[in-house]
Amino acid sequence: MTETTITSTGPQQPRKLWTMPRWLTSEHPFPWVFPTTATLIVFGLYPILYAVWLSLHRRHPVTRENQFNPEWNWSRVFADERVWDAIAVTYMYTSVAIVIQLALGLAIALLLDSERRGFGLMRALMTLPLVVPPAVTGMMFLLMYNNSFGVISRSLQHIGLMGTDTPLLATGSTALWAIMVADTWQWTPFMVLIMLAGLRALPKDPFEAAAIDGANAWQAFTRLTLPMLSKIIAIAVLIRGIDLFRVYDYVKVMTDGGPGTATETLTAYAGKIYFGSANFPYASAVAILTLVLVIITANIFIKVFKVRF
Amino acid sequence: MRAPWYLVTLRYIAAIFVTAVFMFPVFWWGLTSIKPTRAIFNREQVVVFDFEPTLENYRVTVLGESPSLIESGASMGTGGENSFDGRETIFDSIVIAVGSTVLTIILAVGAAYALSRLTFRGSQLYLNWILSHRFLPPIAIIVPIVFMFRDLGLRDTHLGLILVHTLINLPIAVLLLKSFLDDVPKDVDQAAMIDGATRWQSFRLVVLPMIKGGIAATAVLCFVFSWTEFILSLFLTSEIRTLPVKITTFVTSTGSEWGYISALGTSAMLPAFIFILLVQRHLVRGLTMGAIKD
Amino acid sequence: MNFKNHDKQQYIIDTANAFTRKQITKREFLRKMGLAGIGFSAFGASMLGGHRRLGGLTGIDPAYATTPGQMRDFLREAGRPFAGTTIRYTSEATPPTVVANELKGEFTELTGIEVEIEIVPLEQVLAKATQDVQGELGTYDLYYLDQAWHATFARDTIDPVQYYNDKPELAMPDFDFADFSEPLVEGISKIGDKWVGVPFDIPIFTLMYRRDILEKHGIAVPTTYDEFTAAVQFITEAERENGIYGTGLQARSGHYSLECDWSQAVWGHGGSIFRADGTFSGNDAEGVAGLEWYQELLRNAPASSLESTWDGQFQMMAAGQVALVQSWDEFFPGLDADGSDVQGLWEMTIPLIGPHTLRDRADAGYGEIPDWGHQGGSSIALSRYSKNPDAAWLFLQWVTSKEMMVQLTLGGGFAPMRNSSYADQRILDKAVVGPGTTRHLPVVLETIEKYIASEPDMPLWAGLSSNEIPTELGKLLTGQDYDGNAQACADQIAQIVDAATADAGLR
Repeated sequence: MTETTITSTGPQQPRKLWTMPRWLTSEHPFPWVFPTTATLIVFGLYPILYAVWLSLHRRHPVTRENQFNPEWNWSRVFADERVWDAIAVTYMYTSVAIVIQLALGLAIALLLDSERRGFGLMRALMTLPLVVPPAVTGMMFLLMYNNSFGVISRSLQHIGLMGTDTPLLATGSTALWAIMVADTWQWTPFMVLIMLAGLRALPKDPFEAAAIDGANAWQAFTRLTLPMLSKIIAIAVLIRGIDLFRVYDYVKVMTDGGPGTATETLTAYAGKIYFGSANFPYASAVAILTLVLVIITANIFIKVFKVRF
Repeated sequence: MRAPWYLVTLRYIAAIFVTAVFMFPVFWWGLTSIKPTRAIFNREQVVVFDFEPTLENYRVTVLGESPSLIESGASMGTGGENSFDGRETIFDSIVIAVGSTVLTIILAVGAAYALSRLTFRGSQLYLNWILSHRFLPPIAIIVPIVFMFRDLGLRDTHLGLILVHTLINLPIAVLLLKSFLDDVPKDVDQAAMIDGATRWQSFRLVVLPMIKGGIAATAVLCFVFSWTEFILSLFLTSEIRTLPVKITTFVTSTGSEWGYISALGTSAMLPAFIFILLVQRHLVRGLTMGAIKD
Repeated sequence: MNFKNHDKQQYIIDTANAFTRKQITKREFLRKMGLAGIGFSAFGASMLGGHRRLGGLTGIDPAYATTPGQMRDFLREAGRPFAGTTIRYTSEATPPTVVANELKGEFTELTGIEVEIEIVPLEQVLAKATQDVQGELGTYDLYYLDQAWHATFARDTIDPVQYYNDKPELAMPDFDFADFSEPLVEGISKIGDKWVGVPFDIPIFTLMYRRDILEKHGIAVPTTYDEFTAAVQFITEAERENGIYGTGLQARSGHYSLECDWSQAVWGHGGSIFRADGTFSGNDAEGVAGLEWYQELLRNAPASSLESTWDGQFQMMAAGQVALVQSWDEFFPGLDADGSDVQGLWEMTIPLIGPHTLRDRADAGYGEIPDWGHQGGSSIALSRYSKNPDAAWLFLQWVTSKEMMVQLTLGGGFAPMRNSSYADQRILDKAVVGPGTTRHLPVVLETIEKYIASEPDMPLWAGLSSNEIPTELGKLLTGQDYDGNAQACADQIAQIVDAATADAGLR
């Protein structure tokens, strides 16, 4: 970012009797950032602080009163086996899904990045999954996975890739993958869009030079494309990774964390406490823990990969 | 450098295959929406197309005709409600998505401009702070927002959901708009200001028109995110319903109404898809998020 | 019988006949039978007047034909002060709710009170109602309360019997609380002496069987758990080629439906969920025997059982995948619908009884009633936080009135709460194979009268029954944990549940 000094602008203004305070003029950042800041504080920061406050209370299940008792929920959160399971599931889900979505996204972007006839149309069609509400995506796959009537399960059974006695979403070893397929279907196109944007923005010269030097396509990709895309890849991974970490809609609709706790991510568990037991303070504690883990993980990522916006 | 014909063919085949794979669920969903219920639950022939297509699911969900009316021609009691009527839902969804998109863009463009043009102390930190709102798991803020909205009278209002969706979209919108603004050379607005324009004027008259495409692309993404948001909409409304919320209510105690679910689901894709097509060119440019330049 | 009633019956019969010639689904049937109540007047109007009704009034008030005169007059009179108010409630999409949503126009027309019914899946009903009482929001004037949640919400509702007596000017003539089946009131409405709500829906476990399949193999209709198990095993073996299984279950991990199946298994083997001292007893010998039995059933059920709630269980039955099912009676009319592949093939009988003896109520805890017929009834309750309790009270009386019970029953898939409904001529007339059948209702009534069971009434139950218990059961049944050892799973549940009850100071 180049330096723009605030004072070096505009000619001399005619003198007025009352001059607007400088911080209210368009020269000052204040009026520009105030509305956004205010909105984020009122609807983002305040609720999260409230949630923290709530998590410091014990909800009595019978009287339903919230008593201030800071240790109650937090000591339970760390002793709760389901929380630890959920942390494992969440990290597993996030890391595997991000790798798959990134690899697919990059590959498909390279594949579709062509000016030949029809490729524009295919790029357009690829964005279709993005507009489907995730909750609806979950239902779509729920129907397609149905062990008796679903097109995916029935086809897999037909070609012998899957037995009839293992419903995809009700088998511990397959359920998480099945959810990931839905997630990947929905969000790979987003990766494709970002990667296409990156590819389009690359300078042409280095590639021409490389071609003259006799580099083949693979060499050009690994030595030029990838390094030049690395920053955008890092940003894409960060943005998508955050969303994956907070995955909720798919899990809620497709398995609700089951079978057992095989697909219970942190948000899904928080949701279960919220929906089922109505223990808002404890659900808040789990949700805050999720937030803390996202922040820590994301910051480590930002440091390691030197992400800058 | 021309690629040999077999490579081109191979690329076409691969591209068409990939596109087809990603289109398939939507295709299947659309197909389900015109199937009679019996064909949806045909265990023997899941993939066979020997059913008589019906538009009934759309008549019920999109045109709001009473399910009981369709067969017999009789009306329901005056004022009675077809539980599967999606018309009000579509209206609510449009109001909320458009409203929050407009609000998001207005707010975000200001913050993005400041971040792009006015260097101020802690601007990087400020940007990070904005982006950190993307970290919030919606489930963490439901209860606080419910109580807050109760006190502000915003519960179950369009405005309430517009504000919440704005919160969700602001981080990504600021990030995107900033990268579009960064693409506009600073000389351009400097020049305008040297000619006597205030910063506001140079923004409004010079810079803004140059990022129209970027604004459109950002707006469409915001629209899509609002259009598809589920969990907050679910808890902050009861009479107002957005499409994803309405669709999940078609799961009844005696069976999921897959026909209605798929019909309304298919209809819900259309407007958002049209918008995304209109701005795809800008999306493909703008989603670099400023990472390539520099 | 007056002319209008006669007209209505004729219409129902005509419709039923007409439909048998067409191919329609359960869903279409459900709507159409909703029409038998609601659309009738409009339909009649258009027949008589020779026009097709196009919404709006055409001179003949549909309410005249469906709401009896006395009630109409009462609603007009009592509703006058509340004209223009809107009352709200949230409910699961059960058959009576869907039909009531279509019917409510009549009520609005008479009273001027608008009714908004927010229909959401069951667990969302719980979450939303909880949110409402926690914040005392008053968002809903009425709550739809599943029996499992009654204790949780008991103090958030107004006792309808008391309200009826306290407000004579709002008391519907001939409302007749005594007409509600006594065991049912005991099971789904009362906590102690208080009526939490008015009974509105009573799905209850009965035994349903495929007559043709049993006949084919010369198997008598099972009456005990042992006979049932033997028949299920036999059919699974004999029908393997045809892809038909002995039974189908609602065993989705982490879902309330699995807890329902499990508690019936425990009761059926002489166990109970809680002991009189309030500790969990699902891990005693009887409880574990029940769970092991359930594991055996699962081996004789389509794998889809593991991904199914009641929704999927019904689909298995309707698709002809299973032969014997002990589950919700409300499935039955759907099986008999036109266009159903199994129309007329399913029969219903009372739930399985013996050979084990039931645990005594006195030996179970928290008001739990071990018996043969698990019920998932629900009531509609008047919220204490309502801003329009009187208007809501009028609606509540209307929708649970004698006439409406009949209409909701004719509307589809639903067993009435009132003894009078079972004797209603319109309902008796429909006791034939075909859409909207009521031929199963005598069995349902008998089950309610003699075998109704009830889950514990305790404030933690809403959570335990839809989260902790079915999640651990799911781990066992899908092999995620416990290595198939029912005892280990039950012990773990005992630990979790006992910790929770101790935490809450309940024992």
